[in-house]
Amino acid sequence: MLKKRLIPKLLIQHRQIGSMTRPVLVTTRQFDQSFDVGDPVSQAKIYQAQMADELIVLNIDRTPIGSDELLLGIIERLASETFMPLAVGGGVSSAEDFGRLLDHGADKVVINTVAAENPDIIDAAASQFGAQCVVVSIDYRRDADGTPRVHTDRASRRTGRSVVEWAHEAAQRGAGEIVLVDADRDGTGNGLDCALCAEVAYSLPIPVILSGGCGIASHFSDGFLDGGAEAISAGTFFAFRDQNPIQTRSHVRNSGIDIRMET
Amino acid sequence: MTVVGIIDYRAGNIRSIRNAFEHIGCETRLVTEAAELDGISHVVLPGVGAFAFCMQRLSESGMLPALEQWALVEHRPLLGICVGMQLMARRGLELGDHAGLNWMGGKVLPLVANGARVRVPHVGWNDVTFDDPFGAFTAGSKADFYFDHSFAFFDPEFGETIGRCTHGQDFAAVVRRGNVVAAQFHPEKSQDAGIRFLEGFLAL
Repeated sequence: MLKKRLIPKLLIQHRQIGSMTRPVLVTTRQFDQSFDVGDPVSQAKIYQAQMADELIVLNIDRTPIGSDELLLGIIERLASETFMPLAVGGGVSSAEDFGRLLDHGADKVVINTVAAENPDIIDAAASQFGAQCVVVSIDYRRDADGTPRVHTDRASRRTGRSVVEWAHEAAQRGAGEIVLVDADRDGTGNGLDCALCAEVAYSLPIPVILSGGCGIASHFSDGFLDGGAEAISAGTFFAFRDQNPIQTRSHVRNSGIDIRMET
Repeated sequence: MTVVGIIDYRAGNIRSIRNAFEHIGCETRLVTEAAELDGISHVVLPGVGAFAFCMQRLSESGMLPALEQWALVEHRPLLGICVGMQLMARRGLELGDHAGLNWMGGKVLPLVANGARVRVPHVGWNDVTFDDPFGAFTAGSKADFYFDHSFAFFDPEFGETIGRCTHGQDFAAVVRRGNVVAAQFHPEKSQDAGIRFLEGFLAL
């Protein structure tokens, strides 16, 4: 039986150190404040040893990733020093960028703002690289009346679009997976948005990855059981809490959810 | 001397496969034309993208006659991965009906989604049951491998299904015809189980 997945999320920013620019692993709170964690490749190796099922690697600097030698180099190192699936994104601008990221070792490409602004990129990438390669990530915030609205550009721009409607369009155009990120819960540890996830997941045939708000291990089992998520992704939780994918996995397993227990 | 030749026909995630074999300690080479098969002991045929796209790229590469000589006449070890496996079917029904290499017979058909229980694409870790022993995997044993696909291989005619997986329906996870082996999952992304599987192939 197909197992549920735990996916550590590696957010990467460029840091100027003297005359050098270096990629630094960070976590964010509500997409705003960022906290340095350390080196992305060392952290990925730790996650691999802790049996993470997959990694999501995102450039959060709004720089074009397809021509960013520094980030492409990091992807290459991640692919050569770990043996787990890599979904990479942040600053993708064309279907050609998919090819560049795959050539550097990515297995899947995550698109967000570019897809919202130019949805045809989903069709183009899916027909060339296959639906399984196209991951559409949707950042959202809730209006005062509680309606979740799609936000783009690192959740800084409200689009007025319904999250459920956009997820359906993305799936129809050929997305292989949807990532839902509640920007207001990001980094807070207050729990996942299971209600919206369930609404999206139970109305779509493709897998939904839920993210934003994991603070304790039971938030993961909630996301699987109440949210219907196929996978849960977390950044701050795995980087800063006194928790790792092994302990989380054991909690999830003991909640009766089928999850990988040995490699 | 083990030297792994990875067929580079511009339709595959070659880097990860290369890294996995180098991690095991093998020399690897990229093979872009038939003459480069000289000195190679094991061939890997990767594949990412649509069936027809990969088939066309492979035909255009000019390497097909040499690969058929290698696999079907000389019976030397060859491993197909993901779409590299699917190409070995008689036909593939992704985006139209296309002829495959027909090394194994059988068909590549879409997986059928079934509400929240069976989602397609089939993404993630699923267990493979080995019906025949392969390397360190004994007959009847199970292990989790990483899958990422919407189409699957059914009913090989000339080869045998030695590993089965279930996602709504049973499909062939590993097929084998002599020294030609092919896997639907990504051994190069499957951590320890994947490395053990690749070691099984290298033992051929």
